[in-house]
Amino acid sequence: MRATMKAPLPGCMAKFALIVAAGACFVAAAMAGSRDDSAQKIVDGKKLFHARCGYCHLAGGTGTIMLGRRLGKDRSLLEERTDLNVEYIKKITRVGINGMPPHNRIELPDSELDLIATYLTRPASARGADTAAAKGGTP
Amino acid sequence: MQMVLPPRVSERQFQKALDAFAGVVGKQWVLATDEDRGTFMDIYAAGDADQHVPSAAVGPQSVEEVQAIVRIANEYKVPLWPISRGKNLGYGAAAPRMSGTVVLDLGRVNRILDVNERFGYCLIEPGVGFFDLFNYLQENKIKLWMSIPANAWGSVAGNALERGYGYTPYGDNTRNICGLEVVLPTGDLVRTGNGAMANSATWQLFKWGYGPGWDQLFCQSNFGIVTKMGMWLMPEPEATLGLNIQLPNPDDVGWAVDELSPLRLNGVIQQSPSIGNSLRFVASATQRSQWYNGDGALPDDVLADILKKAGYGWWTINLRLYGYDEVNEAHARIIKDAFARHTKQEFQVVKWHRGEPIENSGAGVPSTLALQMINWRGGRGGHLGFSPVLPPTSEHVLKQFHSTKKRYEEIGVDYYGSFTLMERSVTNVNLMVYDRDDAALTAKVRALFKALVADAAKKGYSEYRTHLSYMDDVALTFDFNKHALLRLNEAVKDALDPNGILAPGKQGVWPRALRTERA
Repeated sequence: MRATMKAPLPGCMAKFALIVAAGACFVAAAMAGSRDDSAQKIVDGKKLFHARCGYCHLAGGTGTIMLGRRLGKDRSLLEERTDLNVEYIKKITRVGINGMPPHNRIELPDSELDLIATYLTRPASARGADTAAAKGGTP
Repeated sequence: MQMVLPPRVSERQFQKALDAFAGVVGKQWVLATDEDRGTFMDIYAAGDADQHVPSAAVGPQSVEEVQAIVRIANEYKVPLWPISRGKNLGYGAAAPRMSGTVVLDLGRVNRILDVNERFGYCLIEPGVGFFDLFNYLQENKIKLWMSIPANAWGSVAGNALERGYGYTPYGDNTRNICGLEVVLPTGDLVRTGNGAMANSATWQLFKWGYGPGWDQLFCQSNFGIVTKMGMWLMPEPEATLGLNIQLPNPDDVGWAVDELSPLRLNGVIQQSPSIGNSLRFVASATQRSQWYNGDGALPDDVLADILKKAGYGWWTINLRLYGYDEVNEAHARIIKDAFARHTKQEFQVVKWHRGEPIENSGAGVPSTLALQMINWRGGRGGHLGFSPVLPPTSEHVLKQFHSTKKRYEEIGVDYYGSFTLMERSVTNVNLMVYDRDDAALTAKVRALFKALVADAAKKGYSEYRTHLSYMDDVALTFDFNKHALLRLNEAVKDALDPNGILAPGKQGVWPRALRTERA
């Protein structure tokens, strides 16, 4: 995945002459270092969840507020839910539910959705550990 | 979901085109399953999603891939519907005007190519979202502010191309465009403005170039696919001063427009304030069923009771002054004095100074919270917006407000309107919020929309932007000299796009071969 490349730019005055694949840098970093172990998948999934779903599904977001109204506050934050399963997450993401629109496979490829679902359904033993791993600690 | 092929294209020809697309972008980025097609439908459709069914989607990652796809589309006569991020919610989202069209999703063409703090601009690709650019500016401590629409899930470039707007002094987003790179319907590549000079030192600094200006010809247009956009960004001010006020009576919108309009024109107010009926706040925080279960439009007495209990006036105005403290204070006094001639209501004042948290500044901060209002009717919510442009006077605004509200009541839809004051016009956004699965309600919404288009046209008011299903209706309201503008647009369309492959029907402009598809 491209993270940087030089493109023809107008003139020499570009103080911030840089190329960034929006919303993708962290993914590139995360995926490049990806190991085939569940702890790393959870770390990658968390980063993707925050980037792709966080607009609405972090604290104070539209999705969190709507879920709070429908299911109660204790089930409004997806990250804290323990009743979700992988297939359900994938299906809802692709077809939408209530006010939530569906997400297509260009904005959210299957490989990324798999990681997000892995993160949201992480076992109890990994709850909290992903945070330590994300900070560079030992999961 | 039923597969709909493009007109003029056989199943075999269509499959060949998809295979050729896959040869350019890779199989992973050609999406043609039923589930895939479903993700590119009009996700907030008012019962007419089946009028705008995509046949497939293709997702290139570079300008060269876009050019290659366009050439293949010409070869197989397969129409393309370019989208930036597909979040044109309330106007059709990612769906094409004509069923069978292949969605050309530019979400992966998403680089921030240049940000220049000294001269206040950026150069971006269409897949860059408001959150992406905002995060980039924040993380790199670049003191430039963005103009952001109420729902910020979409593309910065896409919103400007559709003439969306935000609420800072740079709020007229299309006006901030300075230089485009465009793939033409034949696959050729052009740069507009000074970008037409290969080594230009001023592509993002000077809008007009030399000779005819083309930037606006690619806005709300099917003449080309924008692959790069220069956009001016606002230098962070030293201070801002917010003035928020509630007005208790429906007719207060008239004098408010008369007082604010000259101040908007002479520059005391630099941004475009919105005068919105306060139901929008109630609808974002609660559901209708919590207040009222009757059919038809919300009765005035019920609305008055709701607003009283929720602590709102009939209208809410949020103004923001930008610049230096002393100037902001002086301008605030002028505005307060103007309002004091009509009301005893007082302004709530919100002050911000450089270095304080940006959330309270009046800068564009992206959010999707505005989407909450689609939950008003419950179920699978959706919304549609009818947005005519009026002269900024009480006479026009009150006439339009009352006639629109009456139409809502006649047809039985809750009135949900706002008036956004530009320098020399008012944009009157009238939302219709519904449960997509309530067939009776969505039928009313469609009838209401058609009635409002006709009503506005009789008064000489045009829409600034519209949903896919009404593009032909609105285009036909531009009827000077027997629709001379449409003839001109379609003459240009035929010259640039002889095979009619690019976004047929967008804004009512159809290529010669597909004019029978016009509604």
